[in-house]
Amino acid sequence: MITGTRKPMEEIRAMIAPFGRVLVAGCGTCVAECASGGEKEVALLASQLRMDAKLRKISLEVGEITLDRQCVYEFIDQLTPFLENYDAVLSLACGAGVQAVAEVFPQWVILPGLDTGFLGETREAGLWLENCRGCGECRLHLFAGVCPITRCAKRLFNGPCGGSRAGQCEVSPEVQCAWHLILERLERQGRMDCLEEIYPPCDWSRHQGRGPRKIQREDQRA
Amino acid sequence: MKHRSNLQAVLEGAHFAVTAECGPPRGADSQALREKAQILKGCVDAVNVTDNQTAVVRLCSLASCAILKEMGLDPVLQMTTRDRNRIALQSDLLGASALGIRNVLCLSGDHVCFGSEPQAMGVFDLDSIQLLYAARTMRDQGKFIGGGALSDPPKLFLGAVENPFADPLGFRARRLAKKVAAGAQFIQTQCIYNLERFREWMKQVRDLGLDQKTHILAGLTPLKSARMARYMKEKVAGMDLPDAILERMEKVPASKQTQEGIKIALETIEALREIPGLRGIHIMAVEWEQVVPQLVADSGLLPRPSVDRGQ
Amino acid sequence: MESDQQVHTVVFFCQQLDPQQDLHSRDLEREWGSGIRLFPMHCSGRVEALHLLMAVEQGADRVLLLTCAEGRCRYREGNLRARRRLEYARSLLEEIGIEPGRLELRMASSQSPRHIARILEPILREPWSHGPSPLSMGTD
Repeated sequence: MITGTRKPMEEIRAMIAPFGRVLVAGCGTCVAECASGGEKEVALLASQLRMDAKLRKISLEVGEITLDRQCVYEFIDQLTPFLENYDAVLSLACGAGVQAVAEVFPQWVILPGLDTGFLGETREAGLWLENCRGCGECRLHLFAGVCPITRCAKRLFNGPCGGSRAGQCEVSPEVQCAWHLILERLERQGRMDCLEEIYPPCDWSRHQGRGPRKIQREDQRA
Repeated sequence: MKHRSNLQAVLEGAHFAVTAECGPPRGADSQALREKAQILKGCVDAVNVTDNQTAVVRLCSLASCAILKEMGLDPVLQMTTRDRNRIALQSDLLGASALGIRNVLCLSGDHVCFGSEPQAMGVFDLDSIQLLYAARTMRDQGKFIGGGALSDPPKLFLGAVENPFADPLGFRARRLAKKVAAGAQFIQTQCIYNLERFREWMKQVRDLGLDQKTHILAGLTPLKSARMARYMKEKVAGMDLPDAILERMEKVPASKQTQEGIKIALETIEALREIPGLRGIHIMAVEWEQVVPQLVADSGLLPRPSVDRGQ
Repeated sequence: MESDQQVHTVVFFCQQLDPQQDLHSRDLEREWGSGIRLFPMHCSGRVEALHLLMAVEQGADRVLLLTCAEGRCRYREGNLRARRRLEYARSLLEEIGIEPGRLELRMASSQSPRHIARILEPILREPWSHGPSPLSMGTD
């Protein structure tokens, strides 16, 4: 899932200041799962914005809508009948969603209501952890399902650094050392030989591409 | 230019080596560096120059090494993978060789969040083992990481660091094996206060035959005060300072703590020299270079050997 | 009744507090009139930050969330969850400059009478420091 966190109120206020009618648009997929941009969060933010405007004696009309996804044209299109009534869309989607909506409606102002975070998992209620950087060349089979690019602060491919303490990372003591986890799991699986290998430098060209990356599949094209 | 560095010649000549560390200044003034280096001249075989240690911006390591070289010392260029990608690192390796700087110590480096520019992008394009491997490939096969041939291979004596006390303990010697396999010809360790655990680690190292494949130098940081000992024990990650050492420092009055710290260091050196397979010591007296000549002299390690470095 | 300065209060409460809450809350509403609105819930843990925010947006001066006693939640930790939701709603109010103290959580004790009106009355009679909601000022 792609995670995000709502921008600070002050930043949102400044963004919407020039507009009298704002449509708060949520996305029902990733950001709903991470409780930052789903239907509930749309309602909360809309309520806050209405009260805020009233307190500051500003005329502001706030609409609410939540699409299933903001990154797929068929869903984005659901905005079409509503846009005429608003001056700007405050999107609570991830950066991909905001851009996709802006692409479909280039004549409208689309504002980001979230700071997009990372690819991660919901570990428990209220806790989301980053575990993938989308490097383009997955090697999780070598590292017992723990990604050193993402979960080691120094992206070490060939074993732990010298700084971890009691299995915790020296950079953020509340985070488990990725290499501690890798070693523990490989040992349990009897696969410590995985560690003898000297892994070559990462091919970052698959990560950075030449500008934005794309996937194109003929079998999926109608 | 000579084929081998002084350090390599000392180690390959089976002498017990002594190296020390020298941190460049937080400014462009090379005088401070020259003064520190002057203190170390004649009492150590090589001088490590740190590479923006603890992620704090300092005068560049390569330039500092060139200054030391010009002063007649044998510099060890520390290179972290934190700040430069493989293009810059390989370029610097060629530059080092061209300047006659032979010793290179490959590290990943302290994380940027600990330093003076916590907003910086941590590069970590390579890790320390990959840097070792790349440097060795450049030297022995005349090839860059990208596969291209280089016109004249650099002449390098490659080193790495190891922390015998870091977690996970059982894995540390095996990690050393990996560094040796990647090309580490010498190893400098984290500073040692816990001799017992260090002996255990050395045994694991010997069991894997690593002492025969690389030259291991034991790290040493003399304690200046009880306060410093407490700081090292409590605040420095990966440090193992036993309670007994701390108590010993705290038991003497403040005015005598420095002497006590030097005494502990001398006893440690004496004990280290007895450990089979250990090939030298590396003294990291941070901002206290003046103590190095005394330590080396009092432990009977002077004069330093004069060695044939080949043609 | 001091109707001019009446505190518009919205109460969300856990039904488990009073098996006859329908009956008893009618008494309360009769006495307090339009100044009080009661919303029974199957469990206080069902409250959402949005309920609390909407109550304020729609004119409440004070929002009370009444939960059962600690360790007495029929669904184990509904009342603890309620507290976290309330804290969150408070932070959202604070962001826009409304006193977070307008949202309050009161936990019943194990000695509390099983009678919603009797539980609430003493709370409602306590002196209350916040005046009318800033949202209602100049608009009525």
